[in-house]
Amino acid sequence: MSSPSEQVLTITNLSKTFGGTEALRNVDFAVRAGEIHALVGQNGSGKSTLIKILAGYHLPDRGGTVAVEGNDLELGNAGESASRGLRFVHQDLGLVPALGALDNLALGRGYKKRRGGTINWPAEAQAGRDALAKLGYDFDIKIPVDRLSASERTGIAIARALESGGDAKILFLDEPTASLPAAEAERLFDVIRAVVNRGVGVVYVSHRFQEVMVLSDRVSVLRDGLLVATERTADLEEAQLVELTVGRVIAPSIHDATGENYASGNPLLEAKNLTGEVVTGLDLAIYPGEIVGIAGVTGSGREEVAGMLFGAIPRSGTVTLAGSELPDSRPGESLRRGMAFVPAERLRKAAFTDMTLRENLLISNLAPVFGPLGVNKTVERRESLKWLDKLEVVPRATETRLINLSGGNQQKVVLGRVLRLEPQVLVLDEPTQGVDVGAKDAIHQIVRDAAKQGTAVLVASTESEELVALCDRIIVLAGGSALGEYPVSALSPDQLTELTMRKPGGGDDDAVRRVLGS
Amino acid sequence: MAEDPTTADSTKGTESQKSISVRFLERLKKAVWNMSLLFIWVGMVVLFGLLEPDVFLSTVTLRSVLADQAITAMMAMSLIMPIASNKFDLSVAGMMGLSAILVATFIVKVGMPWPLAILLTLLCGLIVGGINVFVVVHLKINSFIATLATLSILGAMIQWISDGDQIAEGIPSSFKEFGRRQFFNIPLPVFYMLAIALVLAYVLDFRQFGRYLYATGSNEDAARLAGVNTRKVSSIALMVSATIATIVGIVFTMRIGAASIDVGMPYLLPSFAATFLGATQFKEGNVNVPGTIVAVYVLATGVKGVQLMGAPYWIEDLFFGLALLIAVGLAVRSGRQRSM
Repeated sequence: MSSPSEQVLTITNLSKTFGGTEALRNVDFAVRAGEIHALVGQNGSGKSTLIKILAGYHLPDRGGTVAVEGNDLELGNAGESASRGLRFVHQDLGLVPALGALDNLALGRGYKKRRGGTINWPAEAQAGRDALAKLGYDFDIKIPVDRLSASERTGIAIARALESGGDAKILFLDEPTASLPAAEAERLFDVIRAVVNRGVGVVYVSHRFQEVMVLSDRVSVLRDGLLVATERTADLEEAQLVELTVGRVIAPSIHDATGENYASGNPLLEAKNLTGEVVTGLDLAIYPGEIVGIAGVTGSGREEVAGMLFGAIPRSGTVTLAGSELPDSRPGESLRRGMAFVPAERLRKAAFTDMTLRENLLISNLAPVFGPLGVNKTVERRESLKWLDKLEVVPRATETRLINLSGGNQQKVVLGRVLRLEPQVLVLDEPTQGVDVGAKDAIHQIVRDAAKQGTAVLVASTESEELVALCDRIIVLAGGSALGEYPVSALSPDQLTELTMRKPGGGDDDAVRRVLGS
Repeated sequence: MAEDPTTADSTKGTESQKSISVRFLERLKKAVWNMSLLFIWVGMVVLFGLLEPDVFLSTVTLRSVLADQAITAMMAMSLIMPIASNKFDLSVAGMMGLSAILVATFIVKVGMPWPLAILLTLLCGLIVGGINVFVVVHLKINSFIATLATLSILGAMIQWISDGDQIAEGIPSSFKEFGRRQFFNIPLPVFYMLAIALVLAYVLDFRQFGRYLYATGSNEDAARLAGVNTRKVSSIALMVSATIATIVGIVFTMRIGAASIDVGMPYLLPSFAATFLGATQFKEGNVNVPGTIVAVYVLATGVKGVQLMGAPYWIEDLFFGLALLIAVGLAVRSGRQRSM
């Protein structure tokens, strides 16, 4: 095992050019054994390029070197990267959902076999349990992984990366918490610390600065392909880190809560006895111009509420919009009646990746771009350009396919699609998932502007900071029902996170009051 | 940590500051690729024209290619709507065969006046389309499997109705005229093909339904959540494919003046090959009408050319099989294939 301060990975003068665009420029970067080294940067700053070079998928420009424990690494060779101890866990984990941890681990390194080639199941099971035990996990390794919690799945992916052949020297984690609620992220941090204690260096890529501040020993910042800083995390303030990443000062996102008493008017959206797979008997009401948050850990029902209100997933109970009841599971009808929805999984549920920005923006309402002979493409382009400008989408090109955009810009296009309908009620599920700081701020501003126009907004999110920054009041869910409803003025993000982790039923008023410090 | 602001800006602006000549070259490259089949076509005509000038360039050859392929082109177009919505309809070949035998049976064996026979045949086509809709859209059986099954069932019905015999006698010439008459030396089926092409292209490019169709094919979940009634869209697509295939069956019987049990199947693979090859053209990655028609004629010209040069009879099957592989392979390479 390496001694703690020894440099296991040394990158010198690494550059990468893609057809005239410099994705990385003269990057020097080093990782020590046993440290958690955070790597932050906006989308397109070069993080993924750097990781792909190290994994052997891209060949860098001439002149750069990568050394593992002092010896040069042959670049552009995935097998070599793996055998020298560089291991990668990507955001989508790459697990086979229907198989258990046992098989998923074995698929990484090959099954243990008896003579003659039959699989030695007892040895395999023992190895699987050992690998997980080393990370502090103890669950049935035969349960299909899609029935495990998100942090357990991430744990399996980490175990697989560490165990597959030879000694792991450095583990690269690409946004492992992007879809994890705070409580599960905490669990994952323990796993990461266990990995580091084995002497492995961890490179932790994340958009979440708070996590970086809590978890990492050192942090490096990439911006526009340049490594602009490597600092000890303890020497940095979060605000400085944000500034380094974005390259400018971002004013803290202060919510201009007017403190209006919404309840005096009539609610625009009202749900009674809303019930789905997890959620049971939830009541809620949203007033014009109000932004209401839904918080809760995964499994609390948070992930269901938005889809149920819109009719994307089946529900029972009643949902009324401006006094008239909406039918269940009729998304088209909800849209026509003035409710718009942005689903959480952009790529699966919202994006037409192989269609143009124009087609993506206009699909939900083509009537305004209709001429006497059908769809008028000139009018279409004008209309979509208007929205690309309004949302500051880059590139400003109506005929580009959506797949060519960064995550943040894709999300803006999806938002544009629903805002264009001028909805009375806007239902957003994880509106900024996988979106970088700059774009996130812009999206928040867009949502606030919509609310100022009188739109009633519902935001379901795993991110406490987002909810506190955006909402007027927040409903915390636990075990499928509302634990409570809190005005945002009474909450800090930390308090909100803590509330979401309370057990349902056991969430006695005393505990809540203690959290809120009143 | 300090950084020269100008360098940061210059990387950001790379995309927009790309020199005009580079951008022009890129556009040119894309345009050439988008019309590559047309160039291949011209190349083949020149090549075969030089090698076999007397036969290949004769008006008889050209006219027979044009007319024969009108049937294939219509069959290929019947596939466009299902494929655009990411559904397969293999049953079109059976539908064409059934319609060819039905219209002849109604006229000859039942003794109906031919306009009534045509109407009844079209009605049968709609019923079969409805069965496809029920199985694919309502029972949610994978369209490839479902229509493979209906294809087999239609094959059985064809044999049952015809008793295995061909109907060669007794088809009135007034009926056959509609398949054989020529305008400006061009047989009528070519005009039918053009009419179908125009209507289809207009709907796909200029009607809301066309946009809904491509959106459903691109991402059915997203389309539904964006307010598209995806079940309705898929249903209409399958009804349209059945209707076009029925029309083609009728036109086939008009043109041949007889109907046998093996009418539809030979058109299945060429139609699929042409539709997928056509998807690499004009609207890169999306099935479309002009691409499909150009692909039909490119494939037919290639087959005709090598046949005239003395290639064996099985060259046609080989040719279409390879074309289908290449077409789908190209689509996979550009990362835009979603049907398979």
